[in-house]
Amino acid sequence: MSSTNPQTGVSIRQALALVLIALLFVPSSFAAPQQSDIPDVTAMSMEDLMNMQVTSVSKRSQKLADAAAAVFVITQDDIRRSGATNIPEALRMVPGIQVARIDENKWAIASRGFNGRFDNKLLVLIDGRSVYTPLFSGVYWNVQDVMLEDVDRIEVIRGPGATLWGANAVDGVINIITKSAQSTQNAVVTAGGGTEERGATNVRYGGKFNKDTYYRAYGKYFNFGPSDYPASGVTANDNWDAWRGGFRTDWSPSGPNSVTLQGDVHTSKFGETLTIPSLTAPFSDTFPNHGSFGGGNILGRWNHSFASSQMSLQMYYDHTKLIDDSLFSDRQNIFDIDFQHSFHPGSNHEVVWGLGYRAINDNNNSSFTVAIKPNQLTLNQFSAFAQDEISFADRRLRLTLGSKFEHNDFTGFEVEPNARLLWNLTKTQSVWTAVSRAVRTPAITEEGLQLNSGVIPPGGPGNPTPLPAVVAIMGNHNFQSEDLLAYEVGYRMQVSSNFSADVATFYNQYSHLRTAEPGVPSVEGNPIPTDVLVPFYAANNMGGGTYGGEIFGDWRVLPKWRLLGSYSYLQMSLRKNSDSLDPLPDNPAGSSPHNQVYLRSSLDLGRHFEHDFVVRHVGSLPGLSIPSYNSLDMHLSWKAASGVELSIGSQNLLNNRHLEFIPDFINTAPTEVKRTVYGQITWRMD
Amino acid sequence: MQNRAIMTVRRLIIAMLMMALGQAAHVWAQDSDQSSEYLIKAGYIYNFAKLVEWPASAFAQPDSPIVIGIVGTDPFGPIIDKVLEGKKVNGHPFLIKRLKPTADVKECHILFIGSSLGPHVADTIRLTRGTPILTISEIPGFADHGGIIHLTLEQNKVRFEVNVDAAKEADLNISSRLLVLAKVIQQPGDGRKTE
Repeated sequence: MSSTNPQTGVSIRQALALVLIALLFVPSSFAAPQQSDIPDVTAMSMEDLMNMQVTSVSKRSQKLADAAAAVFVITQDDIRRSGATNIPEALRMVPGIQVARIDENKWAIASRGFNGRFDNKLLVLIDGRSVYTPLFSGVYWNVQDVMLEDVDRIEVIRGPGATLWGANAVDGVINIITKSAQSTQNAVVTAGGGTEERGATNVRYGGKFNKDTYYRAYGKYFNFGPSDYPASGVTANDNWDAWRGGFRTDWSPSGPNSVTLQGDVHTSKFGETLTIPSLTAPFSDTFPNHGSFGGGNILGRWNHSFASSQMSLQMYYDHTKLIDDSLFSDRQNIFDIDFQHSFHPGSNHEVVWGLGYRAINDNNNSSFTVAIKPNQLTLNQFSAFAQDEISFADRRLRLTLGSKFEHNDFTGFEVEPNARLLWNLTKTQSVWTAVSRAVRTPAITEEGLQLNSGVIPPGGPGNPTPLPAVVAIMGNHNFQSEDLLAYEVGYRMQVSSNFSADVATFYNQYSHLRTAEPGVPSVEGNPIPTDVLVPFYAANNMGGGTYGGEIFGDWRVLPKWRLLGSYSYLQMSLRKNSDSLDPLPDNPAGSSPHNQVYLRSSLDLGRHFEHDFVVRHVGSLPGLSIPSYNSLDMHLSWKAASGVELSIGSQNLLNNRHLEFIPDFINTAPTEVKRTVYGQITWRMD
Repeated sequence: MQNRAIMTVRRLIIAMLMMALGQAAHVWAQDSDQSSEYLIKAGYIYNFAKLVEWPASAFAQPDSPIVIGIVGTDPFGPIIDKVLEGKKVNGHPFLIKRLKPTADVKECHILFIGSSLGPHVADTIRLTRGTPILTISEIPGFADHGGIIHLTLEQNKVRFEVNVDAAKEADLNISSRLLVLAKVIQQPGDGRKTE
């Protein structure tokens, strides 16, 4: 191997070749199950059948078979066997999604490019409640948490989901769906600890008020100790502590109505090392910083079935408070009401339509580093959508046409149409294609932020003036929505109940992407000048395209052994418009990797042991000078007794210490990802 | 350092595959108690046929087939045909038909309604009213809409709910041996039809 080979090149080819070999090695017995291969279930009693464990992949594929979109479902089994203890870690297995850990309590997560801590093109929902914050058009990943044991599935759609989910579902939608209260009865207690997550416990109890009304209540706590800084190995300050509790009740009498009510409260504290600019020498200050989050939410949903149609009405209220010492504090209240109705006006049409309203109230307090004007603001958003799925040829061909219409206080009306076509070639193969428009509406920060990102000392290079020069990123009331026109094609095959493969490709055309245009510097301070302000205003002067695809295969080799593999490819080609003066170089593709590989083997050993291991490769982030890395993760669980499960897992087993991301905008020091070991006991009292 | 990383990944992947293959050879020899979801559900359907009594008028002859109709997406595929091939219940063999949603379902004794008919489930159930058809489905809320047996998965095991009132209306007698294993659902007791 020549040392001039590109870093990602050779190891990628190796991994990819092995994935393909594993997936292509399909024995001929797939053609049809031989009589002798199938256990004779007709010779078993009902009691025996009721004790058999279901392990086929068809449950996942059944849901996907009808979707004209790049969908990936993380099942409860996937979550449990991966050993993930929080949502970001569970998302690492999804093709097309980039998960990068910044420090113990911060992540940068994106779909198909544009990754950043304050990434702005991915919509995330928990049981229908959006956790996307309009403050910076992204997600506070360290505020979102659910009891993973009670998650039914996480559906991830890469690509625009704007028609159904609205603006800001530009590159993807992540939908975290918890189990119904009826499916989470009796008690579950987990207790665990490890090298980074020092301690954690989850407790849930479920019961019923009467035969129609089920409930559950839970509480959880975890504590993460700090990690290390790269190179120096000095202990960092990125510890994290969080408490959370909540409940859910489902009322589903026989009849056309069902109602769900759920809510959570949470509080957490975190640490970081922060660098902020200052007007006095040495003009920047690096120190350990602390912050806290808190809040609560309550959501109610009513579903009603008519003779031949269904409707649902959902309302939620969400309060989130963030205090980041020395930097910023924010209180946000969101009230959302959403109505949906689905019916079929003809035997070949399935129409879904809906209306929505959201009120956002934001109060914030500034610091020298981060200021948002105005300090208090209330925004109103109205939306409507309609979609018709038209079937031809006995449902073999399905065309979906729809659009979302929205009005927001920053850019007025937005229209997001899409067209999708699904063609079931055979019972086991389908092809789909889609064209969609999606927009990312301006965030509160893009309208009114002043972020002092650095100070250039007086007399130094780049600042001939006698005053310190403050480089500031400023919002702009003329900031427009970012625009996407996406073209997607996918192919899906379910060869047998043991093997399925899924390919999704895309070409995204972006326009009006965010740039920062230099403004006129001015002297600040009256009567005595204090500094020169060098502003950069948010503008929409970049465009271009991204393209790529994801291939994913799921193979149950033997009843007790399953292999899962995926490869994700991304190319970004973005260019500033000719009149842009943004000083950053073209092609900020450097914060997302070109290649990612994921390979997992899930093995059941006897009746009591489950063993999983994962090999992951994440390509380099050249724009951030972060090299590619490989990680070997392992998880072993043992059903020690009825209702008791012990498990132990390790991420990055080979202790391949690496950085995954360098954050943008707010300068917190990233820490290394080391080997972690985590053990847990789970008691289920059924 | 670059080459070392490549070598490590290579060795890892090979080691992983070999280890998994080694385990696979070991488990292949063992008795498997884990099977695909639809194999188990096919077994359930066989048992339902054994433990449900149809009225005498449902079968023209003592050896007329038990007709199983599948409408909507068929999640079983060839598995159910293989499982029930050559089997008989009370002298009746099985006949499995895949039907269009608009077809005449009245000739069926058992009707499995696939998930793609979720939005039309109430209509499909209405088609079977007044006939002795055992309706089975995985569609959420099936029993509440008047379906007779609803199949669910709980903790990776197949479970079922029975709507006893709908069964009574269909003139089907469900053995208490089956009811004792099911989650029993009853429609409001005042006899009014719920829509």
